[in-house]
Amino acid sequence: MIQRYRASAGIMLAPAVTLIGIFILLPMLLTVWLSFQDWSTQTPFSSASFIGLDNCREIFGASSVGRDFKVALINTAIYTALSVILILPLSVAFGLMVYQHDVAGGTALRTVLFSTYMVPMIAVALVWSKLYSPSEGPLNQMLGLIGIGPQPFLSSPRSALISIVFLNVWQQVGYFTVLAIAGLTQIPGSLYEAAKLDGANRFEQFRFITLPLMRRTLLFSAVIAIINAVQVFEPVALITQGGPVGSTNVLTYHIRRVGIERAQGGLGSAMAVMLMLSLIVVVCALFALANRKDRE
Amino acid sequence: MSFAWTSKLALAAGLAILPATAWAQSVNISYLTHWSPETVALLEAAAKDYAKTNPDVSVTVRAVPFGDLLTTLRSQGGGSDGPTIGGIYDLWLPELARDKLVAPAPDAVASEVKASWPAGITSAASVGGTLYGIPNEIDVYALNYNKALFKQAGIAAPPKTWDEFKDAAKKLTNKEAGQQGFGMINSWAAGVVHPFASLLVSNGGELVKDGKPALDSPQATQTFQLYEDLIKSGASVPAMATADANTTGPFLDNFVSGKTGMIIMANWWESALKTGMGSKFADIATAPIPVGPSGDKPHSISYSWMTVVNANAGAAEQKAAWDFLAWLNNPKSGKNGASAMSDILMSMGILPSRLSDIDAHKDKLGSEFLSGYVSVLTDAKPFPVVPGGQEFSESLQQTIEALQYGQVSAKDAQATAQADATAILERAAK
Repeated sequence: MIQRYRASAGIMLAPAVTLIGIFILLPMLLTVWLSFQDWSTQTPFSSASFIGLDNCREIFGASSVGRDFKVALINTAIYTALSVILILPLSVAFGLMVYQHDVAGGTALRTVLFSTYMVPMIAVALVWSKLYSPSEGPLNQMLGLIGIGPQPFLSSPRSALISIVFLNVWQQVGYFTVLAIAGLTQIPGSLYEAAKLDGANRFEQFRFITLPLMRRTLLFSAVIAIINAVQVFEPVALITQGGPVGSTNVLTYHIRRVGIERAQGGLGSAMAVMLMLSLIVVVCALFALANRKDRE
Repeated sequence: MSFAWTSKLALAAGLAILPATAWAQSVNISYLTHWSPETVALLEAAAKDYAKTNPDVSVTVRAVPFGDLLTTLRSQGGGSDGPTIGGIYDLWLPELARDKLVAPAPDAVASEVKASWPAGITSAASVGGTLYGIPNEIDVYALNYNKALFKQAGIAAPPKTWDEFKDAAKKLTNKEAGQQGFGMINSWAAGVVHPFASLLVSNGGELVKDGKPALDSPQATQTFQLYEDLIKSGASVPAMATADANTTGPFLDNFVSGKTGMIIMANWWESALKTGMGSKFADIATAPIPVGPSGDKPHSISYSWMTVVNANAGAAEQKAAWDFLAWLNNPKSGKNGASAMSDILMSMGILPSRLSDIDAHKDKLGSEFLSGYVSVLTDAKPFPVVPGGQEFSESLQQTIEALQYGQVSAKDAQATAQADATAILERAAK
């Protein structure tokens, strides 16, 4: 009986498992295999030659290849951390605002917030590159009205990456607000009524009811925000080209430059594997932290 | 056989035969470029002219930003469905030829090119003696300066030496007005490296000598030092000189709006300057690159562009592509003995490289703006075309930008640039 059950389960799972194997696992394994090879992306896989860990040594070495990779890795980490740190609290704050049924214009605000997520990145990049323009940009003109001198925004290595982070937060926060609202709807209203009877004020209700019960939603939001941020490509390719001085050169853009533009497929694959491993470590750490909190 | 069956068979035969005769004759080819929509329209018009005598060939033009051109060629050129023709920068040719992405020119085309183009330009379109592309444009760098700003600053003539250049840059700088003396571009590899290389060769130095980097020379030391001096004196403000994917951005904005006194830029910017400045374009003049303390006379950097054919395209497509390119670059396809290609190039202020085209456009090449470029062409040195050249350019760009933003000293920048270049060129040569 169990054997028949297993066989039918296997048959039913086979199509999905096969598709996942072909389109997800196989490319991942191929990338890992290529990271140990010396291979040009313009030649067949058969021309790849095994070089062991040389690609890894190169990307963490002192040469320009290593320097550029390490800078791109750090830039990606900063971009991801800042994006998550800004997006999550803002999405909860906006979610709380929009979720209040008695607030006038709540529906309109919800629509406006989500609409930024629907705007194509090419349009966002074009508009924001003009907003940030040092000489003619509206942002600098507004700062000038309150006596603040022109800011370089995208033209300085100190502020270029942060400027791209703000662009990302502006575009993504609406989507995460919708997730936060979904989390808020799962909290029973009776808990707030009981808390009110016990004399809890609004902050205490948020601190001891809303936040703990939104932990799962926030964990999901954090994972998605991290994955989205790590994959950042378009604003860099469209606005800054990784500059100035490599300050916005993030890993996806750098891998494209190395792997496709320079056709160094082995090096590009080694970089992609490092990016994948970093992402796995961060997401696993996040889940481990959340599980520990749950046990407490 | 029933009537119904006879009708079905006749219909099937008709459907099979009629389009097959048409398909057998028509060839579709595509042309990948980074030109602006206005220039693409001119190329499309030329393709229509070509179709009048070649109705069986259909040419489609595709344009991508300059920053995506090489990536598009590499990612799509590996298959037969990729672009049939591509406009490429000569620096990319050695690696595209090595990776068999571009096809050698047929003998007839190669003979025509060798007979009608200067030898230096032909060699830049060749690898190992084999011609891979039809050269079309040559670009050279010169000093562009704003005459109105020069007049305001009391400067009578463009600088001829580095001392005069530094002095002019200082006089043109007005921090209160947000004005810089010399615009030093960043965030675009060729835009950063070419002006630097122009100053280097005008100081008697070279980027690459006998296939090896020569950035450790005393002339290079002086060039790195010049950059550091300009930055430290405040005559050059890097934050005013970033470029974007379309090679525009604040660098162009500040020059066209009169916030930058001088830049070192190539002739092809004429159309961008005209569009940005309107009637004020008349304020812009061209002068040779100032001569450094170790230089003998003004020199600058030149580079060329060419059209290549996808080696993975079908035989019929390749044949049609070479035929179209031969027509496009032929003196009979344009106006007054010029090729259609040169007419398109001249609309952007780009110098054509075919000898007959230079002659046909003599009048326009004598304009105040372009004549300055034509005059420096004789002493211009070609940008070194070597395997690994693009990576070398991008690496040098990073080092120069680090110097511009004060992250490294001139001495450290020079040492880093030489070490990186050595490693990159050695690896690429293997």
